Amino acid sequence: MAEKQKTKILLLDDEPIVLKRLKPALEKAGYEVEAFSRSLEASDRIMETEFDIVITDLKMEGLDGMQFLTQVKTRSPATEVIVITGFATMETAKESFKKGVFDFLAKPFKLGEIQEVVAKAENKVLANRSR
Amino acid sequence: MQFNVLFTVFQKILGYNNYALELMAEMGTKLGGSYVFDRQYIHSTCHDMAEIVYKLIYNLNTLAPKKYTRLFNAFDKINKEIEEELAGRLVIPQTDYTMPFSLITGDFTDVVGAKNANLAEVKNVLELTTPEGFAITTRAFQAFMDYNRLDEEVFNMIAAWRKGGLSKDEAGEKIQDLILKGTVPPELQSSISSATDRLYQNAKNGQALLALRSSARSEDSEHSFAGQYLSLLNQPRENILDAYKSVIASTFSGSAMEYRFQKGFAEHEEAMAVACQFMVDAAVSGVLYTLDPRAPDLEVMMISAAWGLGAPVMAGKVKTDLFTVDREAPHSLVSLDIVRKEKKLAILNGGGTDLSPVREDLQTKSCLPDEQIRRIAAAGLRIERHFKKPQDIEWALDRQDRLYILQARPLNIKAQVAQMVCDISAVLKTYPVIFENKGMIAAEGIAAGKVFVVKSEEELNDFPQGAILVTPYTSPRLAKVIKKANAIITDVGSPTGHMATIAREFRVPTIVNTEIATQLLHTGQEITVDARQNVVYAGTVKELCYYEFSEEAFEETYEYRLLRRVLKKIAPLNLLDPSDYNFVPEACKTFHDITRFVHEKAVEALISLEYDNLRNTRTASKKLKFDIPLDLVLIDIGGGIEPSATAGLVEPADVLSVPMSAFLKGLSAPGAWNTDPVSVDFGSFMSSLTKTFSFSVASPRFVGQNLAVLSKEYVNINLRLGYHFNMIVAYISENPNDNYAYFRFLGGVTDIARRSRRAQLLSEILSKNDFRIDVRGDLVVARIKKLGPERMVQKIFLLGMLVGFTRQLDVKMTTDQKIKTSIETFNKLKNGSTEPNRG
Repeated sequence: MAEKQKTKILLLDDEPIVLKRLKPALEKAGYEVEAFSRSLEASDRIMETEFDIVITDLKMEGLDGMQFLTQVKTRSPATEVIVITGFATMETAKESFKKGVFDFLAKPFKLGEIQEVVAKAENKVLANRSR
Repeated sequence: MQFNVLFTVFQKILGYNNYALELMAEMGTKLGGSYVFDRQYIHSTCHDMAEIVYKLIYNLNTLAPKKYTRLFNAFDKINKEIEEELAGRLVIPQTDYTMPFSLITGDFTDVVGAKNANLAEVKNVLELTTPEGFAITTRAFQAFMDYNRLDEEVFNMIAAWRKGGLSKDEAGEKIQDLILKGTVPPELQSSISSATDRLYQNAKNGQALLALRSSARSEDSEHSFAGQYLSLLNQPRENILDAYKSVIASTFSGSAMEYRFQKGFAEHEEAMAVACQFMVDAAVSGVLYTLDPRAPDLEVMMISAAWGLGAPVMAGKVKTDLFTVDREAPHSLVSLDIVRKEKKLAILNGGGTDLSPVREDLQTKSCLPDEQIRRIAAAGLRIERHFKKPQDIEWALDRQDRLYILQARPLNIKAQVAQMVCDISAVLKTYPVIFENKGMIAAEGIAAGKVFVVKSEEELNDFPQGAILVTPYTSPRLAKVIKKANAIITDVGSPTGHMATIAREFRVPTIVNTEIATQLLHTGQEITVDARQNVVYAGTVKELCYYEFSEEAFEETYEYRLLRRVLKKIAPLNLLDPSDYNFVPEACKTFHDITRFVHEKAVEALISLEYDNLRNTRTASKKLKFDIPLDLVLIDIGGGIEPSATAGLVEPADVLSVPMSAFLKGLSAPGAWNTDPVSVDFGSFMSSLTKTFSFSVASPRFVGQNLAVLSKEYVNINLRLGYHFNMIVAYISENPNDNYAYFRFLGGVTDIARRSRRAQLLSEILSKNDFRIDVRGDLVVARIKKLGPERMVQKIFLLGMLVGFTRQLDVKMTTDQKIKTSIETFNKLKNGSTEPNRG
């Protein structure tokens, strides 16, 4: 089968259960996924390589999600960031969008919902890439 | 206190009550598998839940001053248990030290060790035969170590070994010696002794001796520790304490210590529970692998078997027959290898075992006939399906050919699967999708098999083992085939319904509410159900099944287990009958019970409050005089009742409240108040139900507290008809933006099947009539808003008809077919009736 380059996703959440459930789901849908539960490790990783999509929690130990997504966007503006959080407020949503996130999902969410959002983000990434 | 102040409190209670019920249902939905949730969610929802329930109690005690303060005690008790769970401390039934297998669930892995927990699930959920017995817990182990002050010495020995001062065997022997010389603490002795007494009391064979097997906390999970720990066979009961000490001492064999060190276990993480069971006097024993771990793609199972007890088979000390069989029923033989079996392990009278010669003529004979092979294979597949991993199972057949499962643990084939399926997404693209993302996942997992469409109850009898159940409705009647099904797909239904709960218990992958399953799937068709991604594929997607084997099952995750455990203290409803002597704060075992209690008492308080307060003529409650025997108390809070009708009874014509008037007209529309005689076999049940409406109420048992609080534009109706609860809140004014109607329906005492059918019927009719519907189990909530006054009146009229029409309908909902015919009947009634104009 002709291998086309897979869309690369970095997944960051300090609760392992979220990674455990999301990673295989996204892999089955055909994405290449790297999962991290420690924000500092994820932060090191984005300095090494460029991801198409980053999915991150907001409230974490160590480096906070808002800082992390700022870092992602600075390092690679083309990367689409999807925020997932259990503490969704208007303020955090507003702030996230101001920082250029693609979408904002409140936890708990349905697997189908995040897959839909990821697919939309992928379309945007692909469109930008071919431009 | 002013009535309107009290009424505000009452409304608050109703609001919190609704919120609590919705939150409960929402939490239940999360178990289905469609959602990604985390610990923070569980913690914060439990916190919210507790807050609401607390406010309910607080407000009830405002409404009925300090009358129900004992509810706070019930609340504290339940809340404390939930907090314990959230903090990671299990609440153990009975004693801390021993637990009969019948009480053990998968939740207790930490307490009884994985081997015991798995075996208990095999016995209690899968209903396969396992030896009778009990577990001696990890807490008993800790108590033993504490009592003998061994923790520090163990720590020092291990430190000495790590530093090189002692060899691992020297360190291990010293620790084991300390344990063997130790004393079993008196409380532990008495707990073991009474557990043993109970075991022998119920024994069919009082002569049987005991097996004590290790069940370490971390054994049988990802790390097999196979053969690291000790099991003692055929022990007389007098020996039990010594045998117990020997088994727990084996925690510190040099090789076990080395193994833990290699695997990165901290020593304090290990604790040894012990299984204490009757010996099975095995004629044949062996091991079943439900998949060949070396070549999973061959789709075969492997059974090794030898005469006598199984221990030497596991230890590789005797030669065994090897049978390779097809994974698919009827499990035909693929190959066999019969060896000469000269020795067997047999039990000795009086205790112990002995390796003895096998009778000459049996030595070269196969020790398993085909029929037994099939039984072992079928049991193995059931266990595999439940644990969602290929299994390594120890089994035995006794002299009466009874099959016993002695142990079941996962076979680790992660590495092989990774080789076989390198890119799952690419593989999946090659399989045709029949449908995807339809409905909700009610139980997670992946399964392949042949479709079997069930449209009537009779068809259930023909349901084949391992088929995929496809059916229009979720009905608890299906329970009897759930165990046999590889997966379930329904057209309608909810992930919090009763059937979904059963499917989760048996871990049968289930997708509900797909709307189209019965149209697109037909009996005999081979499909693969991915109830993780919500996709149904044509054909058998082997790679997906293997992929699933290498994933951790959702049910095995800590978060799933935690949510399920806290829900047990939140959602079940035990308080049903308000006239029962047990309908008291002390009997509240769950938050749902408290919610239910508060709701009932709030309605009661409001009625008695105003009923007694006849001097306040403005709001004094009155009885409605109605053709229909609906014992309804009206409380007017402003312009709801014709002022001239102050005395005693109110005629319907005196009701000025726009929504109430519409509701009453609907209720009394011709044919709506269903009085058809019901079939004879339910007669006795009906006779008790109709007492609700009879004038000479012999027993207060079924009297409903029916109450309506009304004003010109507003009504708040609380009905209890028989055992179901109905609430209608509506506001109708000239301004469409302010208008709304809320309808809530819950319960009944007929079996859950009929209640679910009635819920189904309600939701279908209401949604056809533009209501927004939310069905969760047998709770139906319907909302509509922002319609002009004429249309609002029509909707409330419809609700009135529906309440009358459905009030005893659950009794008649004997088959799924009845839903359809009842909807037709209702529509005819509705079309025949003249909907009222306003006023």
